[in-house]
Amino acid sequence: MIDPLQTVLIVLSLLFAAVAAVHVALDRPTGGLLLGIAALLELGLLAQAIIGIGQLVSGDRDVNGAVFVGYLLGALVFLPLATLWALGERTRGGTAVLVVAGLVLPVLVVRTQQVWTPSGA
Amino acid sequence: MPEVQATNKGWGRALILVYAVFAFSALGRSSTQLVQKADEAPLAYGLSAFAAVVYAVATFCLARPGRRTTPLAWAAVLVELAGVLVVGTLTVVDPELFPDDTVWSEFGSGYGWVPAVLPLLGLAWLWHTRPGGAQRNADSPVSA
Repeated sequence: MIDPLQTVLIVLSLLFAAVAAVHVALDRPTGGLLLGIAALLELGLLAQAIIGIGQLVSGDRDVNGAVFVGYLLGALVFLPLATLWALGERTRGGTAVLVVAGLVLPVLVVRTQQVWTPSGA
Repeated sequence: MPEVQATNKGWGRALILVYAVFAFSALGRSSTQLVQKADEAPLAYGLSAFAAVVYAVATFCLARPGRRTTPLAWAAVLVELAGVLVVGTLTVVDPELFPDDTVWSEFGSGYGWVPAVLPLLGLAWLWHTRPGGAQRNADSPVSA
């Protein structure tokens, strides 16, 4: 996998969680800034999925393909669903959903990398 | 409908997202385990599938509170708590019993201990939103 993209995704989603947490703390509703970062993240996740599946198909790597693609697509679907769920209630609780989402995404990205590099090397 | 608990309002929404994440990851884990290597550790994989169902029921019932779903949510979260306690203890006492990991192995240490904390949060939230309880969310007269 292309490591720079994954690093960017992890940092950006942690930033997303932090910004969302500040929104919760200040009792601000989810707005343009958060949705903008979410859109950027989603673009990155789309790129990750395309590149990842491309590398899986073109290479003859010993990877658990089903699990790998599952993580790529799972991460891709996760953020829009979480964002919709967050927007369902424009309150602190709603915005707190985005904090959770921003913390779950890095785990998904790291797991994707682990599946791609089975030996953990 | 005055008896509906607002489990899907406010902070409950973040809790439900965590439940959904666990439902899907347990579902994904158990299905790949059962499809790709069912005979290696059938007990562990069966347990993963069971955990997936428990998390899925909890997610749905917390997200859709009602006369029938809310008691089910209580049941699912209690089963979840029992599951993580029993399986957690068994995996520590006798690791041979579950040769491959499940969500609840070693009290969920492989998942940052979240599986151990989650049922407690779930119970606390169900208790908090119970009818006539300490429901303080001024903004939550049922809308959906």
